[in-house]
Amino acid sequence: MYLYSLLAAIIIALVIFLVPKRYKVWAATGVVSLVALAAMAVAVMAFMGETVELVKFTTPFFGEESLAVDKLSALMLVIISVASVATVLYSRGYVEGYLKRFSEAHISMHYTALVTLVVSMMLVVMSSGGFSFLFAWELMTIASFMLILFEADRQEVRRAALNYLVMMHIGFLFLVVGFVMLFNVAGSANFSAINDYYEHANLLPLFVVLFIGFGMKAGLFPMHIWLPEAHPAAPSHVSAIMSGVMIKTGVYGIIRIMQVENLEGDMLFTIGLIVLVSGAVTGLWGVIFAAMQNDVKRLLAYSSIENIGVILIGLGIAAVGHAAGSPLVGMCGMCGALLHMVNHSLFKTMLFFSAGNIYSKMHTTAMNQMGGLAKHMPITAIMMLFATVAICALPPLNGFVSELLIYIGMFNGVSSGYEVLYSVTGIIVLSLIGGIVVLAFTKLYSVVFLGSPRSHHVAECTEVDNLRIAAMCIPAAFILMIGLAPQYIILPIADVAEQVTNSVNTIAVKHFAPTLSALSYVSIAFVVVVVLLYVIKRSAQRNRVVSEGPTWGCGFTAVNTRMQYTGESFSEGLENIGKPLMKNTVDGRAVDKDEIFPMPHRYRIRHNDKIDSLLGRWWVQMMHRINEYVMRLRTGKVNNYITFALLFFVVVLILTLCGVL
Amino acid sequence: MLIKLLNTLLMVVVALSITGVINRTRAVLAGRRGTRFLQHIYNVRLLLRKGAVYSTTTTILFRIAPCVYLGAALMAFLFIPIANLEPLFSFHGDIILVAYLLAFSRFALILAAMDTGSSFEGMGAAREALYGALVEPALMMGLATLALFCGDSSFAEIFSQGQVVNINFTVVLLLVAYIFVMIMFIEGGRVPVDDPKTHLELTMIHEVMCLDYSGVDLAMIQIAGWLKNSIFAVIAANAVSAVFCFHWEFAAPLAILGAGLSVGIVESLRARNKLSRNTTYILTISALSALVLLVGFLLIQDINI
Repeated sequence: MYLYSLLAAIIIALVIFLVPKRYKVWAATGVVSLVALAAMAVAVMAFMGETVELVKFTTPFFGEESLAVDKLSALMLVIISVASVATVLYSRGYVEGYLKRFSEAHISMHYTALVTLVVSMMLVVMSSGGFSFLFAWELMTIASFMLILFEADRQEVRRAALNYLVMMHIGFLFLVVGFVMLFNVAGSANFSAINDYYEHANLLPLFVVLFIGFGMKAGLFPMHIWLPEAHPAAPSHVSAIMSGVMIKTGVYGIIRIMQVENLEGDMLFTIGLIVLVSGAVTGLWGVIFAAMQNDVKRLLAYSSIENIGVILIGLGIAAVGHAAGSPLVGMCGMCGALLHMVNHSLFKTMLFFSAGNIYSKMHTTAMNQMGGLAKHMPITAIMMLFATVAICALPPLNGFVSELLIYIGMFNGVSSGYEVLYSVTGIIVLSLIGGIVVLAFTKLYSVVFLGSPRSHHVAECTEVDNLRIAAMCIPAAFILMIGLAPQYIILPIADVAEQVTNSVNTIAVKHFAPTLSALSYVSIAFVVVVVLLYVIKRSAQRNRVVSEGPTWGCGFTAVNTRMQYTGESFSEGLENIGKPLMKNTVDGRAVDKDEIFPMPHRYRIRHNDKIDSLLGRWWVQMMHRINEYVMRLRTGKVNNYITFALLFFVVVLILTLCGVL
Repeated sequence: MLIKLLNTLLMVVVALSITGVINRTRAVLAGRRGTRFLQHIYNVRLLLRKGAVYSTTTTILFRIAPCVYLGAALMAFLFIPIANLEPLFSFHGDIILVAYLLAFSRFALILAAMDTGSSFEGMGAAREALYGALVEPALMMGLATLALFCGDSSFAEIFSQGQVVNINFTVVLLLVAYIFVMIMFIEGGRVPVDDPKTHLELTMIHEVMCLDYSGVDLAMIQIAGWLKNSIFAVIAANAVSAVFCFHWEFAAPLAILGAGLSVGIVESLRARNKLSRNTTYILTISALSALVLLVGFLLIQDINI
């Protein structure tokens, strides 16, 4: 099996390496589309009937394993296929700007890694666990590491990529430990062996270890720090697929380890509580930092962290609800979480594509250099507005549907008296997240696209090529579909939730179907009302004088574009509240209050995570220190090295004589 | 169907008269003769007949935003029942939809304000975004408290019980009403948080966001403001009437008078907060609503502490 996959990988790599530079993207597109089609076919089969088993094989360490697609895997396969096809289509326009700068091998590497990432993600969600899972997981990490390194000539890119690699391997270590624990007790390292494990041993240590391992990939607090570093460094289409899909494989893992038969009562409750609390903290932390950022891609990265938090809140509510004996709350939470996974993969890819459009024209992601881009890139502006409305969870689009399901679960918890305090905590956190998300994304959108230009580069921007727009239309179509017809989308999602929670979905269908079809009518009515109001307004203005003039400056006539609200000033109020969470690095000096005739000032502020310095930097410093000691041994003289070898043998000899070895 | 129409009609009456009551109260308390009761409607009619001036900085978004602002408020408005009447639309979970529709209207106006590129409007937009974010938990917890008492998550179901609740819950329901009136102050840009009549753009919040709007657009924004006020006023009045007399004949006048008088009196008697104190003020309301929810929970579960 490994031999065949190795052969396939070599053939794909050969194809991509052999094709001329300009056409490599089409080779990659062909491969990805074929793989996506096959995955979709398998997914449809899994949705139609029972689990589809593809191959069975024996692995060197953990015994019998298989590649199989059940409904949860099928959902993940759909998410991966849609996003990867959009990504590879988008990459043509984005990479074209680099064709002159980079060598042929470099471009080939990039596309090979992209295809490998897509395939390895699919393997991750199909694998039954154990060795093949870890193999695919590691392949995924390495492929994404290569992808982040695209612009390897920039120092910050190299640093971010290395940071990512190290963090991922810490997570990998936890996974290995978890699977070994599982194998020791249950005799198999497949996910389904967790059932046996639960019968023989305490589930909690295994859960925590695997939860940390998967949480590292998903970007859970406090393991989220790689995300805001890696995304600005990676090219936009890579950020899109990493943020939209790859971090979901972490959530997928968490769902898998929560999916234990006969799990109920206190243990399920504890697990639910762990998930709920970490989701709440991750969500709030992510959204507050998202609102503080002044860099387009850093903002989007933090918003991914926030969305993972929302998904985990849904999962946590589901587990807590089941533990308390309310399958309805459980189904609501689970369906909400699963649908939010789908939704986030759609609007986040779209947002990162928009960020890519901006970056490829502006050559920067600093928000405060932009402004008024909507006039120069109108289609990107419309697309981004669409995705922004969706991610803010505002009614006619898809983000609202999933948050509505989670809210319904929690409100049901409140009104029927099941675990009221946890539901209330969820409601408070989710509503606060909902409020601050609006702040963060109105800031992002308005500072980038609205107002007047803050630098002269804006005037040189033009709309991007049609293929990139087409690639953005793929997720947009799904967003619209889920937003306007949620009652059909919920059926397969409820099937998946049924499989995951081991309960019957008739409650869900009976309960959601009227709500969601009502929601669909209301959403359509809302759109119609807005259009009607616009038509009425236009007709009311028909015979009136409609003129244009400068923005009203409140009597002040020497207005210039530097006086506009910037990203920094927009979120100043929130900054005052969130001060204890962050460490600001200030570059330059602000204008003093008593400077009557201020000279030009240079001022840059960056809001860094306190966790970043707390958690992310210590190992770098430790490595430096250890390296300093080790470097003393490296004298460069051959006789010293021979002494070391001699010392080694002496030590071995002594140890053997003492009977230690 | 007739009940639904009656409800919608009454809601419209409530929406149209609250501003009148506010203006009359302010005039009486200030010892002025004041304007006619329906003057604000005449003002809007005048605006509807005017042309418009649009800033050259703006995009098409600026022209669509008032329609979204009004459309979202209108949709939310149609979900609200007065006491035991049935609203036009209703489904399980609509309280969340209403909260998010109101968020959408805020979203549209913030973007429109930022579209003008004016520093004053940016100021208003930034403040509105922050206050809106902070008031969201208060709104949700107020709704959750109602859901706790009435066992459902749609407005129609919550208020369709048609009975006066247990006397033990009086204080909690009155506090819920107080919270919704406070939310009305904040969302409607009223005195302790914002002052619609201030002479200085630097200290405005809501008013400064519509500085560049004129004619039909401004009229739409004002109508949306009335609708939003009436939503919160009616929810508050429903909570109060659940204590005393759960009937629309009681709740509808209560919504008009309660909301109108409270805004009018507060605006006449006290000055607005310092801007830097606003966040604390709003967070206090959120904290209060969390407390109310907790007390309500203890009462429902019959837990004595």
